[in-house]
Amino acid sequence: MMKKNTFIVSLTLLVGFFTISLILMPATAQAKNIKVGVIDCYSGPAAVFGADALNGFKLALKDINQQGVLGKKIEFTTRDSKFKVDLALNFAKELVLREDVDILVGTINSGAALAISAAVAKREKVPFIAWISKSENITGKKGHRYVFSAGENTAMAGKSGGVALATKPYVKYWIAGDDYEYGHAIADAAWRNLKARKPEVQLIGKSWWKVGEPDLIPYITSILAAKPDAVIFATGGGSMVNIMKTIKTTGMADKVGIYIHSATDHAVLNPLGINAPEGVMGTIDYHFYFPELSANKRFVSAYKAAYGQPPGFPAFQGYITAHFIAEAYRKAGSLDKEKFIDALEGLQIQSPAGRIEMRACDHQAILPMYFGVTKVSPEQGFAIATDIYTLRGVEVMPSCKEIMEARGQ
Amino acid sequence: MEGGPAITLAALSITFLVGLSRAMILFIVTSGLSFVLGVLRVPNLAHGSLYMIGAFAAYSITMLFGGGSVGFWLALILAPLVVALISLVAERSLFCHLYQREHLMLLLFTFALMLILGDLTKMVWGADYRSIMPPTILQGSVSIFGSPFPKYNLFLLIIGPLVAIGLWLFSSKTKIGKIARAAAVDMEMVGAIGINVSWVFAFAFVLGCFLAGLGGALVSPTISVTIGMDHNIIIEAFLIVTIGGLGNMWGAMVGSLIFGITQSFGVLLWPQFAIVFPYLAVVIVLTLKPTGMLKSVW
Repeated sequence: MMKKNTFIVSLTLLVGFFTISLILMPATAQAKNIKVGVIDCYSGPAAVFGADALNGFKLALKDINQQGVLGKKIEFTTRDSKFKVDLALNFAKELVLREDVDILVGTINSGAALAISAAVAKREKVPFIAWISKSENITGKKGHRYVFSAGENTAMAGKSGGVALATKPYVKYWIAGDDYEYGHAIADAAWRNLKARKPEVQLIGKSWWKVGEPDLIPYITSILAAKPDAVIFATGGGSMVNIMKTIKTTGMADKVGIYIHSATDHAVLNPLGINAPEGVMGTIDYHFYFPELSANKRFVSAYKAAYGQPPGFPAFQGYITAHFIAEAYRKAGSLDKEKFIDALEGLQIQSPAGRIEMRACDHQAILPMYFGVTKVSPEQGFAIATDIYTLRGVEVMPSCKEIMEARGQ
Repeated sequence: MEGGPAITLAALSITFLVGLSRAMILFIVTSGLSFVLGVLRVPNLAHGSLYMIGAFAAYSITMLFGGGSVGFWLALILAPLVVALISLVAERSLFCHLYQREHLMLLLFTFALMLILGDLTKMVWGADYRSIMPPTILQGSVSIFGSPFPKYNLFLLIIGPLVAIGLWLFSSKTKIGKIARAAAVDMEMVGAIGINVSWVFAFAFVLGCFLAGLGGALVSPTISVTIGMDHNIIIEAFLIVTIGGLGNMWGAMVGSLIFGITQSFGVLLWPQFAIVFPYLAVVIVLTLKPTGMLKSVW
């Protein structure tokens, strides 16, 4: 008898418990935070960029979550794509279908960003912000309603190189670089824009090496033998340190003009210390020491306090990505994905480098580019960019009309 | 317009010298791998990880001593020793229990070790690019037919043959070298005459790993030290060991020369397809002589 009573009591409690949880469940779902799915490379040589971007993003979230967004917090979950397109794509699907994220961000690998953009963002109608991928196709030819870019791209970088080089006296050019999409895209954009502004320039030769080529001396030898006035190197990632070392070892910068996009980036110059080559021209969309705004100084000191080193361009782009997300939700007033996109189009935010707008026509952040020349700063122990001049975002971006033509619209 | 590279006497000679100096690094790393393969019969996939750790250790030691020339020379001596110490621990705690297992097991085990060491390296040193410079005396270039050739690469051209001679003297003139060679042929027999085979194996393993560390330390001033170096080298190293003849030290030298020189001439002659040349050489060698250029000890 006792046993039966106990059984009935337990059953009642159990049913009651389930009923109460069922009643409470929608309430907890209402209080659900805004969830960001981060897919980026956290292992292998490209991890340095992924980690820097995530640090900038986390730093921004600290401030944002103190205030809250629509009474909620922004939380995130990360996935390591290991620089692989297929892995990135699987993670993007998993984050959307299983983790039910509101928005996706990533990744240093442009191929992965394009894949996520086409196969997940567009198809599942989930907003995706490419924060450090540099392919111009993301917001150019392959752009659509659900994809945004918070970083500079190859079209902007190449155009800023072309615009800046057109003011220099060089006529005979050689182009060399990493034989992958980034290298070719940046070289093409630089050359196209240089030629358009200064028709007398000649291209006397090109050389392309495989990504990660350890020894660049043979290439430099054959380039110098052809006696160009200037060389445009289209290199990225780990090759940057190699090419800068080779330039220093061969004394090449004393013989010819050299332009490399991101040669003035701190992630490239810092490892070289005082042994960085001087006189190399470069462009980048962020310096922790320029522009000298108080907002930038605050950002840099907060970043240094949190992570022990100054922020690079990925950290800056991760930081503004977080602010774009927060401001867009505030403006939209709800978690609705379509309303979020409408709100993000044309949205302006305050960044460490001044106001930045998300251009409505192509979903590309309008970022300025800083052209500078490397110079060793003995008191700081590394080289910095000097003689910096700023190319405004609209100057170096393809126009909305060009974008629409590229998209065939 | 598309211009080809200018093929001049200067370009040819620099290309040859660059290929040779690259071959010296490859030789130092692969001779270690080949030695471990020959004596212990262990296809050590983690060999590339030890090379990477050697480079990172060289970076840390150089920085510890102020980042200058003194630091680099100390790093060149100490970094391989650090790697040797790590390998000694790995050998005594893990490898020594596994020598009798079949090759597939050993491959899986060393593959796992490669992944573990790769992640540990990332945890210790982080993902940043790092760079050290050659010592002051080896910085800059000398002019060869009017083209700059880095002094450090000249230094590599001296070090490579010295290591080869040292290894040859060790394995053919010293007692422990002879025992190691004997153990490679018949381990039981060596044990039966009262020699502690276990410690001979430990020594051989540590020596092989020391060479990986030395290769890593030597390469560190010429490249950016970064995670992922391990994967790049290990495939090349196994190919070289295969075309040279398994376990044969001179085979490692011949294989490295073939690999390094075809690679650098590929760059000069046909830059777009430079990557294919060394692998093409591997295919040709293995088609004509499947056992490798020189006699395999297996």
